[in-house]
Amino acid sequence: MHPVALLLSDARLPVAGHTQSGGLEPALAAGLDDVPGYLALRLATVTRTEAATAVVTLAHLQRGEGIDAVYDAWAARTPSAAMRETSRELGRALWRLASRLWPLPPLPAWMPRPVVLGAVAVACDLPAEDLVRVIGYDDLQTVASAALKLRPLDPAVATGWVVAALPLLDQLASSVTGLARPEEIPATGAPWIEQLAETHAATSRRLFRA
Amino acid sequence: MPDPTRAPSTRALRLGICGPVGTGKSSLIMTICASLAAELEIGVVTNDIYTDEDARMIRAAGVLPSARVVAVETGACPHTAIRDDVTANLMAVEDLEAAFALDLVLVESGGDNLTATFSPALVDTQIFVIDVAGGGDVARKGGPGIERADLLVVNKTDLAPHVGVAVEEMCADATAAREGRPVLALSRHDPDLVALLLDWVRGQVASHAAGTLVPADPGPMAPHFHAETGWHSHDDHPLTHQH
Ligand SMILES: Nc1nc2c(ncn2[C@@H]2O[C@H](COP(=O)(O)OP(=O)(O)O)[C@@H](O)[C@H]2O)c(=O)[nH]1
Ligand SMILES: [Mg+2]
Repeated sequence: MHPVALLLSDARLPVAGHTQSGGLEPALAAGLDDVPGYLALRLATVTRTEAATAVVTLAHLQRGEGIDAVYDAWAARTPSAAMRETSRELGRALWRLASRLWPLPPLPAWMPRPVVLGAVAVACDLPAEDLVRVIGYDDLQTVASAALKLRPLDPAVATGWVVAALPLLDQLASSVTGLARPEEIPATGAPWIEQLAETHAATSRRLFRA
Repeated sequence: MPDPTRAPSTRALRLGICGPVGTGKSSLIMTICASLAAELEIGVVTNDIYTDEDARMIRAAGVLPSARVVAVETGACPHTAIRDDVTANLMAVEDLEAAFALDLVLVESGGDNLTATFSPALVDTQIFVIDVAGGGDVARKGGPGIERADLLVVNKTDLAPHVGVAVEEMCADATAAREGRPVLALSRHDPDLVALLLDWVRGQVASHAAGTLVPADPGPMAPHFHAETGWHSHDDHPLTHQH
């Protein structure tokens, strides 16, 4: 694994990751109790679209192509305005850090997190497969660590969920690593997660931004 | 240090207000806004732990246009959001500065504990707020904010007779712990004390505008002495502050 992949998947990276629950806060409020099932659902749906967007960004930038079409494909496959907004905020947070660390290819302002991650991957020679694993792993840990703040839970149990889900990262990697064109980005939405993201954005009682 | 690409005088002064929950941080912000809004363009960023209560309270006070008050969610990590990873707060501050030509941005911490202080990457200067209701010993117990914040406010002095605290003694303890850094006894019911607070804020705005304000970091817990174990630093126990 590329060392920058380790850096990017470390929660201590100062990119506002601690403000996120991966949609778990509203999901628990809506009655979810199968968190491992929720992790798998995300990897198969919204996180898959995100990972695919990142690798297609990487491919586009490597070919020297602009990323407008990638952005449009991502936006069309991310129907929740709240989720698009969250992704843009996180992209901006990552950009402000990464642009001080590496010479990133120029991007339009306010790009979503997977597009910025794709740009970081280009700048750091991060392989597409590592990029996918970073995104999948970060999603698992975001949800699992938020669970510790939201429910009485033994941290070893939450870590056990992540360990049990690790094989799903292989599936994710094999399904999206080779993608190169915007039209290949899977439209694997999850209406339940998207609906909850909208609800959460409108609540005034929340620990997590999203 | 907050933004190396800009000269300090071209943007608003970023003033952090931290201290334990309930010591009067939001009230102090409302006092500053109500009193200085006529002379300074002000914005506010709050870091509530669970709600946007602080932001709503400040908006409801009507001391500022509501768009100038924004809430940041901290994912139950209020000290991380002002210290180790200030990204969400910095973005909120920068958005306020971009939307309004501001002289002063007040950042209220989530107030989870006595040891949390702002990173100099987020604020130029900071006030640490304790109150007499927390007991006369608080100042003596010290901590980075109490000892080294740019200003220590000992708040709610009007309550001192009711909680059996001698304000002069509490301030003297604080001054000793702070090696002469300023300590201000404050009650929002005492206009003379409020005037001293406002003068301090005006002075910080002026020295920031003049480019002479240098952010001083209160820093992490300093090494200190426990009779039974000798000198140690809290870095010896990194796990106690992780989450
Ligand atoms: N008696 C008295 N009460 C105060 C003063 N300042 C604030 N309070 C009260 O202290 C409580 C907590 O204040 P708040 O500003 O919300 O504290 P925060 O949690 O630090 O933001 C509220 O009930 C305030 O009305 C003061 O100067 N005197
Ligand atoms: Mg408050």
